Amino acid sequence: MKKLVLLLIAMALIVPASWASAATPQKGGSLIIAVGDEPPGLDPTASASAAIDRVVYANIMEGLVKVDRNGQFVPGLATKWDVSPDGKVYTFNLRQGVNFHNGEPFNAQVAKWNLERASAEGTKNAHPEFFRVIAKIETPDGNRLKLTLKDVDALFIARMAEGDAVMLPMKGYENMAAEPIGTGPFKFAKWTRGDSVEMVSNAKYWNSQLPYLDKVTFRFIKDPSAQVAALKAGDIDIIGWLFAAELAADIAKDKRFKVLAGASTSELIMSTNNKVKPFDNKLVRQAMAYAIDRQTVIDLIMAGYGTVIGSHWPPVTPYYKDMTARFPYDLKKARELMAQAGYPNGFEATIKLPAIYAYAQRAGEVIADMLGQIGIKLKIEVVEWGVWLDRVFKQKDFQLSMIGHSEAWDIGIYSNPNYYFQYDSQEFRDAYAKALKAPNEAEKTKWFGRCQEIVAEDAVNGFLFLTPALSAMKMELMDWWENYPTIAMDATQVWWQK
Amino acid sequence: MLRYLAKKLITLILLLFLVSITVFSVLFVLPGDPAQIILGINATPEVLANLRAELGLDKSFIAQYTDWIGNLLLGRSQQSIHYKMPVFELILGSLAVTGPMALIAMLFALVISLPLGIYAARHQNRPGDVTVMFGTQLGLAIPEFWFGILLTLLFSVQLGWFSAGGFPGWNSDFWGSLKALLLPAFALGVIRASILTRLTRSSMLEVLREDYVRTARAKGLRERTVVYVHALRNALVPILTIMGLQLGQLLAGAIIIENVYFLPGLGRLVFNAIGQRDLPVVRDIVLFMAAAVVVVNFMVDLTYAALDPRIRLE
Repeated sequence: MKKLVLLLIAMALIVPASWASAATPQKGGSLIIAVGDEPPGLDPTASASAAIDRVVYANIMEGLVKVDRNGQFVPGLATKWDVSPDGKVYTFNLRQGVNFHNGEPFNAQVAKWNLERASAEGTKNAHPEFFRVIAKIETPDGNRLKLTLKDVDALFIARMAEGDAVMLPMKGYENMAAEPIGTGPFKFAKWTRGDSVEMVSNAKYWNSQLPYLDKVTFRFIKDPSAQVAALKAGDIDIIGWLFAAELAADIAKDKRFKVLAGASTSELIMSTNNKVKPFDNKLVRQAMAYAIDRQTVIDLIMAGYGTVIGSHWPPVTPYYKDMTARFPYDLKKARELMAQAGYPNGFEATIKLPAIYAYAQRAGEVIADMLGQIGIKLKIEVVEWGVWLDRVFKQKDFQLSMIGHSEAWDIGIYSNPNYYFQYDSQEFRDAYAKALKAPNEAEKTKWFGRCQEIVAEDAVNGFLFLTPALSAMKMELMDWWENYPTIAMDATQVWWQK
Repeated sequence: MLRYLAKKLITLILLLFLVSITVFSVLFVLPGDPAQIILGINATPEVLANLRAELGLDKSFIAQYTDWIGNLLLGRSQQSIHYKMPVFELILGSLAVTGPMALIAMLFALVISLPLGIYAARHQNRPGDVTVMFGTQLGLAIPEFWFGILLTLLFSVQLGWFSAGGFPGWNSDFWGSLKALLLPAFALGVIRASILTRLTRSSMLEVLREDYVRTARAKGLRERTVVYVHALRNALVPILTIMGLQLGQLLAGAIIIENVYFLPGLGRLVFNAIGQRDLPVVRDIVLFMAAAVVVVNFMVDLTYAALDPRIRLE
């Protein structure tokens, strides 16, 4: 199994690269991308909403660091960065001659202002903690940025590649949420509320070869069958995130279209309240882990697309440790553990499913059936998203739930005992602290691996699968990202074969 | 007439006041924090508090309510949390889609239902009537969204005559915009036509039994004149009442069809706004819809008087 996963990942990494070299990109043309959710404003520094990053990140706005197709950190507005041996001082060399879409120049001063703004008092950045680790910001010259951290932070570069860390212009930043201005390959053109966001190619982009497309339109279509109908009728060119996995095979059969099924960073988990009975009992949680046949879950609700996971870490992200073998599907062991835990006849419980995610609902139904095999009778309650956020997430009034966690580097949520699944483990906190302070790659691999191991061993949540990055598009559309290692629909290098 | 108008106006104001209190209270106690929805589940409490303060969500019930109503009375629009633009502009923009769509749907409904209903009434209990009645049963039983999807599959995916959805905008493409509304309006219209057909039939049947119709026939008028001039005019009063209700409903209730055809209309706007807890948008739209229903019914009242001189508006 481990080999298979590795092989799959290796293939996923190699295939797009070889496609890219197979043909020379051609310039021109416009692209209409269908996405499900309309973003709540267009400023990635004002919200952690994935819907914003999907439209804006890497297309209109960029940060110092970018994520490439393979999930690696590559130069964005910084051409390179050096880290001091003690891991506390980062020196970024900034790209020269870069201008914002409104003509303002980008330089070290602007970068400094952005980082300060994100961590300032009264900030509306969803993650000020990403930036508060910075103790001192110096600008030795106009193109260099020297950051001294309070402490070693192994995730610092990863954080600088997030949407929360994109660079905004110092003057025209107030109206970012309605009219975003960045340094990206595309310039914002128009937001028709309730319908679409349009952007046009930035002729002065710092990489003069890019972008290939003249115009990109994101169109918001929530209904899965409406998305597919729009693709088939030719109203859109690509479904960036196909909700209806069961329709993928049908689309792929059509000679006009192709389907890419890569990996995303979103883990679907059965969140478990670790503080309420009987789920505070580790044996019960482990029994559930044995009772869930993950591959069948994938087959039933994602038509077979998706990657089995064993812990809270996307297989496409560096430092991944494969924990899928820890709890294989084994009903006998599950029943034994249930008996050991004192529930030989099982018990009744409730699972609260968020109504906005159809896949979470379906997964809940499948899981309810599987847990029924070991005597856990689940009552299914479907709740609206706002209610989910309030009852489940904020008030922790739940036993089980089901949700996709889409941020890539978020295993740190397990170190917060007040986080909604209320996992409280000193062992994990110590391992995570060590991982964050790891001075080199080997130590990072070791301690981030250890974190994944602890979380898996404690069966904190039901780790089900990595949501597939399913996209369906016209045959002639080239170099769309197969994997989504970061939350973005980066159209920079996408082109039409004529 | 003036007294009638004044009375209607006072009713409208009272109603809007009650609606405003109700919708505000319901949204106030509704679980789900707009700031949390915007910031996502990993946001820190500090940032949540900052955003709540910026959106004015930390103020008291009374303060938030007077903020809203005060601005409304002064004709000032609040800002949409989600869309970062004035709510009034959002409503106007979406009405440019939903309004014409509702009108076209009603036109479809009228064109289908009047001839069919009259035909059925004149051929009561004969095969033609039975067929029409069966058809209306079917029309009533079909869910809107499913009929919408069927229409898309046939006319957009198979035949390619229409786009599967979306709306180009009146300014940039007038005919394209009109075309974009035809399928959804048809899906909406057919269902409404079923109700209207049944109503037209029974209303006509009743009128055709009246003495004056017999008199009209007795004095030798042509059957056509009897049916279309003398009978129809009287039969129209209940039909208009229902049409008025339907139009009001369509302005508010095209949520499902607008989602199927991804039209940026009022229904989808309010649907998304509720999901996103975009409270300023939800509040204003609910008020607007309540007002729209009252105004449409008022206009129906006016047409009563025009149709039937015996009806006086007092």
